[in-house]
Amino acid sequence: MSDTKAETKPQQKISAKVWDENAVPRHRIQWCPGCGDFGVLASLKMALTKLEVTPYEVMLVGGIGCSGQIRNYLNGNAFHGTHGGALAYALGAKMANPNLKVITLAGDGDTFAIGVENFVHVCRRDPEVMLVIMDNGVYGLTKGQHSPTHGRGMNIKEWSEESPPPFSPLRLAMTAGCTFVAQSFSGDPKHSAEIYVEAMQHKGFAMVNDFSPCVTYNKFNTYDWYKEHVEEIPAGHDPSDQNAAWELLNDFDRREKLPLGIVYRNPRSKKAAKRLPMWTEELQQADIKPLFEMFR
Amino acid sequence: MVIVNKLKLLVGGVQLRDGVVTVTDILGRILTRAGLHILAMERGYASTIYGAHQYDPIVIDEQPPVSWGDATLDILVALDYDTNPDAKEQPNRDTVLRHAKHLKDGGVLVYDSSTGEIPSDSFVRRGIKIFPIPARNIARDELKRDVVKNMVTVGALFRLLDFDRDATNLTALLEERFLQKGREIVELNLKAARRGLEVVESVLGAKGWADAGYRLEPRKLKEQMLLVSGNDALSMAAIAAGCRFYAGYPITPASAILEFMEEHLPKYGGRALQGQNERESIRAALGASLVGVRSMVGTSGPGLSLKVEEFGVSGVTETPLVIVDTQRAGPSTGMPTKSEQGDLFLVAYGGHGEIPRIVLAPATQEECYSMMIEAFNLADKYQCPVFFLTDLNLSEGRKVVPESFFLKQKVAIDRSTLLREEDLRRNGDFRRYTVTENGISQRLAPGTVGGVFKITGSEHDERGFVSTDPVIRKAQVEKRLRKMETYLKEDSKPPQVYGSTEGNPVLVGWGSTRPVLLHAQQALQAKGVDAAVVHFTRLWPFNTAAAKPLFAKAQTIIAVEGNFTGQFSDIIQTYCLLPVRRIVKYNGLPIYVSDIVGGVEQLLRGKTDVVRIGDAAPTPVKVSEGD
Repeated sequence: MSDTKAETKPQQKISAKVWDENAVPRHRIQWCPGCGDFGVLASLKMALTKLEVTPYEVMLVGGIGCSGQIRNYLNGNAFHGTHGGALAYALGAKMANPNLKVITLAGDGDTFAIGVENFVHVCRRDPEVMLVIMDNGVYGLTKGQHSPTHGRGMNIKEWSEESPPPFSPLRLAMTAGCTFVAQSFSGDPKHSAEIYVEAMQHKGFAMVNDFSPCVTYNKFNTYDWYKEHVEEIPAGHDPSDQNAAWELLNDFDRREKLPLGIVYRNPRSKKAAKRLPMWTEELQQADIKPLFEMFR
Repeated sequence: MVIVNKLKLLVGGVQLRDGVVTVTDILGRILTRAGLHILAMERGYASTIYGAHQYDPIVIDEQPPVSWGDATLDILVALDYDTNPDAKEQPNRDTVLRHAKHLKDGGVLVYDSSTGEIPSDSFVRRGIKIFPIPARNIARDELKRDVVKNMVTVGALFRLLDFDRDATNLTALLEERFLQKGREIVELNLKAARRGLEVVESVLGAKGWADAGYRLEPRKLKEQMLLVSGNDALSMAAIAAGCRFYAGYPITPASAILEFMEEHLPKYGGRALQGQNERESIRAALGASLVGVRSMVGTSGPGLSLKVEEFGVSGVTETPLVIVDTQRAGPSTGMPTKSEQGDLFLVAYGGHGEIPRIVLAPATQEECYSMMIEAFNLADKYQCPVFFLTDLNLSEGRKVVPESFFLKQKVAIDRSTLLREEDLRRNGDFRRYTVTENGISQRLAPGTVGGVFKITGSEHDERGFVSTDPVIRKAQVEKRLRKMETYLKEDSKPPQVYGSTEGNPVLVGWGSTRPVLLHAQQALQAKGVDAAVVHFTRLWPFNTAAAKPLFAKAQTIIAVEGNFTGQFSDIIQTYCLLPVRRIVKYNGLPIYVSDIVGGVEQLLRGKTDVVRIGDAAPTPVKVSEGD
């Protein structure tokens, strides 16, 4: 994706090492050896370094589960609340202070099961927030129960209410009106980083579904399985063309392949927003007398 | 004898169609400007858009009324013109069927006689003066505009109250509202009012009555007065207190706060968000608060139940949030348009685990204002959920309050727990959850150069990194809950005491019932019973040190509550180790003076410890309602 590279700013560059400060030391990271989330972490650091963001202005909102722990594995302000709530906290944070780089980091269960109500409507609301979904098809932290993306690529003859087929995060995002729909693979962190850079520069809600294999509880969708099934989106694809995006998804489905790259990108015209008044001196000037008028 | 400037009036009719609130709104505005006091705390409506019975009782007085008193009415205005097919005596009106039994002997009944007259013998025997007004026919047939039928009634009402005979006040209000749409609309309305006046004069003439027995006289207005609801007052206060992010999901009776904020918050640089659900609302508000903006959510029972998970997030992440609960009758959907005090346990105990939390319950529109300012400072200082517990009657109830009251309220915005860049430079190492003696640690807004925070709802160390270390766990639990001790020491206020508690029955209440408790105290005194009133507006954490001594020498403790259990009674009993007897009411109607007086008399006779109000015969009209 050579066309996505941002131009290097002339100012002094933020050192990549800054992202290791104010974080859990690497040897204390509690992910299984080989966890896909390591790749996501590396890609995030690369992307933030490339964009020359400072940790002060970063607001990481983590979901519940292995993936959400990523917030503590790199520098930057971090928040972690309820299961399924990450995007809604991020929405409020971004509305309150548009100057922040708000990044939501969650799993597929958090985003598409318990948090799907937030996902769908955040796609509509379109806050300038990047969501990276660490998609592994299982609830790893609770020992491997099925998530909504479980069963990807499996040749199952009969489905049941208890075990329904997986659904497509990309299609849901498209349907819900997401203005930036992309997919990446943590087995290729450099490519993921390029996608994150694009996502963070997007003027709206950017969803990146990152295949992040669970090496302990998903023995089917392994690195090798993904390597066989992922395929970069061809250079000729026009992501601003919604029909082309749907056709691309259909084409990849037909060929039983998983697209990597930007499927759809079409920023919406939006009202400008400012940081909300919050400091005492900004608040004390408020004159509420005009409000009395309607009660006279 | 004519009663001047002291009456209770009820306007009733068919919801949406008859414009009950239009009439009471016009009355409210005009009488407020005429220097009279209004207290309208018992609005009754149904959770349907159209067709159910709606009513709006108003107390009018030249002094601020002590309370809404009793169900007893001086004047009943029935806007409904159609007959009730279920009623035995035909023709009849729902409003008359439901409320005429509360009319005082010698009272006044005004009704729309467009579809015929009602059987009047029983009213005449009670000395009730009846004014049949064919308002709908006048509007439809003479004036060719159905909508002005209420103006016919307003004109009739003003004439029989001998008020605004030259229509000066009415003209002013109509011009204010309709002149932009055209002079002819103002004239049409004035004509309608004149027709109402004429009908009343012909009734007076025909009956040979000199007057209706009641009169309203304008008073000299010493200062600007405002007619505000509890929701209005708390919304204005939130803006004054620096709230710049509000989120809510449509729910009765909290929606008015959302609408107010959507309209006015942007003028102050703020944003109001209609959540896609109750959870998105509170989560977005927590997100905004996390960023440093004073944030609030408002909801009612069912919505609050959905938000419970986030109480814990606010408590453990130590993210400030003001949560308004305009209580309505629960559980589940309950009675969405009826008031109750049933959520106290939910706000005091709701959620898994233990968190610091503060529960405030204002009694009046004035306190909705003053205590909301307090609520935001408490949220900032203690960094926990601060619940603001009102109820349907208080949140939608309207009252005349001098404008100067609001202007005089001191708004000192204290954000000292939120660090700035210069503080960080001075202090160096920032730890979000520093264990302190008072339990309070410093916060940081993201974007502040020189500091980074890690915040989590998981148990954590001082830096905010997840930890299950037993020593750290103990220290953090204690740090958080120690804030409640600090609150009790530094900020909680004792209950208000009226009268002597020594050797007397002590009536206890919380939230919106204070006016009626004080009214009942007067009524009891007239019967020779000296009772004290102890009223709480700071409910949680319970201030045992301030409360217990007040009860120590009481003859008996009687709590009056709008719920089945006696939720606050249980809390007092638990913390003060004293038996609390109860008068409880949960039938959807407001607590009346007679409920308390009768209840106290029954309890003093000693046969029982709990009086359950509302065993009178049910209303003789059955109309199904939606939800």
